[in-house]
Amino acid sequence: MRQILLITDGCSNVGMSPVVAAAHARSEGITVNVVGVLDNNEEASMAGREEIADIARAGGGLSRIVHERQLSQTVQLMTRKTVVTTIQQAVNRELKQVFGADAIEELPPEKRGQVVRVIDDLGETSDLKVALLIDASASMKPKLAAVEEAIRDLMLSLQARSGRSEIAVFHFPHSSSGDDCMCDLDWTDNLTGMRSIIPKLQMRGTTPTGPALMQVIDFYGKGGYGRTTRRETDGISGDYVV
Amino acid sequence: MTTSFDIRLARGSVLTGKWKKGQYRVERLLGEGANGKVYLVEHLGRHYALKIGGDAVDLQSEINVLQSLAVQKKGAEPFLIAVDDFRHQDGKEYPFYVMRYVKGSNLNEFLHREGADWFPLIGFHLLGRLAALHEAGWAFGDLKQENVMVGEFGRVELVDYGGVTAAGKSVRQFTEIYDRGYWNGGTRTAEGSYDLFSFAVLCIQQFEGKRLLQLTQTLLPQNRNIEELLKLAAASPTLKPFNGWLDQALKGGFSSAREGAAAWQRLMYGPGVRMRRQKGSGWVKGLFTASMVVLAATVVWMFAEGVIPDGLW
Ligand SMILES: Nc1ncnc2c1ncn2[C@@H]1O[C@H](COP(=O)(O)OP(=O)(O)O)[C@@H](O)[C@H]1O
Ligand SMILES: [Mg+2]
Repeated sequence: MRQILLITDGCSNVGMSPVVAAAHARSEGITVNVVGVLDNNEEASMAGREEIADIARAGGGLSRIVHERQLSQTVQLMTRKTVVTTIQQAVNRELKQVFGADAIEELPPEKRGQVVRVIDDLGETSDLKVALLIDASASMKPKLAAVEEAIRDLMLSLQARSGRSEIAVFHFPHSSSGDDCMCDLDWTDNLTGMRSIIPKLQMRGTTPTGPALMQVIDFYGKGGYGRTTRRETDGISGDYVV
Repeated sequence: MTTSFDIRLARGSVLTGKWKKGQYRVERLLGEGANGKVYLVEHLGRHYALKIGGDAVDLQSEINVLQSLAVQKKGAEPFLIAVDDFRHQDGKEYPFYVMRYVKGSNLNEFLHREGADWFPLIGFHLLGRLAALHEAGWAFGDLKQENVMVGEFGRVELVDYGGVTAAGKSVRQFTEIYDRGYWNGGTRTAEGSYDLFSFAVLCIQQFEGKRLLQLTQTLLPQNRNIEELLKLAAASPTLKPFNGWLDQALKGGFSSAREGAAAWQRLMYGPGVRMRRQKGSGWVKGLFTASMVVLAATVVWMFAEGVIPDGLW
């Protein structure tokens, strides 16, 4: 299972539409979740709200707007919920053949019990990758500590799973080079001993959310830096999700 | 994740199950949380609690746990009574299940109303509940004030099985301030020590709630740790006798909730009744022998009087 979690606090302003980029992700079998993060007495702008919801819808995922304080919990719950939903969608496809039903809700309670047992079991044991894409534009600077904390907290939750669980971390815009997005952390299942994940940054004013998303999709395709391209083989990712 | 779920059932309205056709008359809302609403209902002349949810998969996971537990303790009064769906006037269908109605109030309400004198006994009963769950191969997960119901004489029942997780898996649902991971105190793996950690925070939350809240708002995430929790415990007169116990629970020092319960029990009666003389002195030994003689005499007398039926011995 493959997810991208975008953490941002405003609107994109350069490059391709992030909604289109999210649709790309979805067609590659990657679910895109979006969290809009506000500092503790900030209000979200209307445009920001809409963009966040649109990206998540195109990416087949969830969106939430939360204050810094709720960030860790939101990230953790969203990731978990998306795992279940992804499996649920895959299972729904099989339901028709096995039980002649279109959705889990249509099954009588006993059969629903069996199906949900399978969903829960897969949710715990299947392999999972979450790429965190962090908006590091100027307004996000004071929130990055909360973001780091949320990443560590997510890793802790994932480590308790039985399945293989890895995260990678990216930020955008990439300050010096022409790249839109920078990989801070290649796929890993452990953050202990790591002092800081997102480096102290020179913040720039642009927010190239769409191009950054495209680069993360590309990174998924490459299987990480310096690795050869490989397709996921856990049976749940890929075409199932579309 | 909380899904937008805003069903309201009017007092007196009757729910009819889609599959089993059971009828449940709504009396009042008992409570609500992240996964659903719980109503007091009447069914065939008896009271039950009915939990109705927005997400069929989430609710079914909880039902699966309740069903596994029921299979494990055959013979006991069943907790889970029925599982069904309900079609609301709004045209949507909502899953629900019916369970035993647990009379009482939650831990916080109970202690406020009845007084902190009850706390040690309730803690002991709660540890017993947790131990039984652990011995059946589960961890409770989302232990918190709202999920602990206290009835007459400090009897304790756990409600909300949404966090209950098979041992060794990742805890399905938790609440930050009770979570071991949040305090940098260990993993989120479902195991007895995870619940004991939450139990310890629950104690602190109960008597130093304000300062605990303050701590969560001021401490940097990397500075959240067990020592901070222990400092709060040390400040509470009610928790004083339990400080050592809490230390051990937070640090994973008990091998099981059963062992934790036994240690708790030893603390409940304070420093204990003091003997006037040192053990082993001839005088005490003599007294002991004397009392045995009196006891034996009493027993013989009781037999003679028919107070104790022969079968008992
Ligand atoms: N069997 C029951 N008997 C009496 N009250 C209950 C029962 N189950 C739940 N409640 C009340 O309803 C509240 C919400 O139920 P709960 O199962 O905890 O929902 P959630 O999973 O959404 O948190 C509980 O905090 C408790 O006060
Ligand atoms: Mg609850």
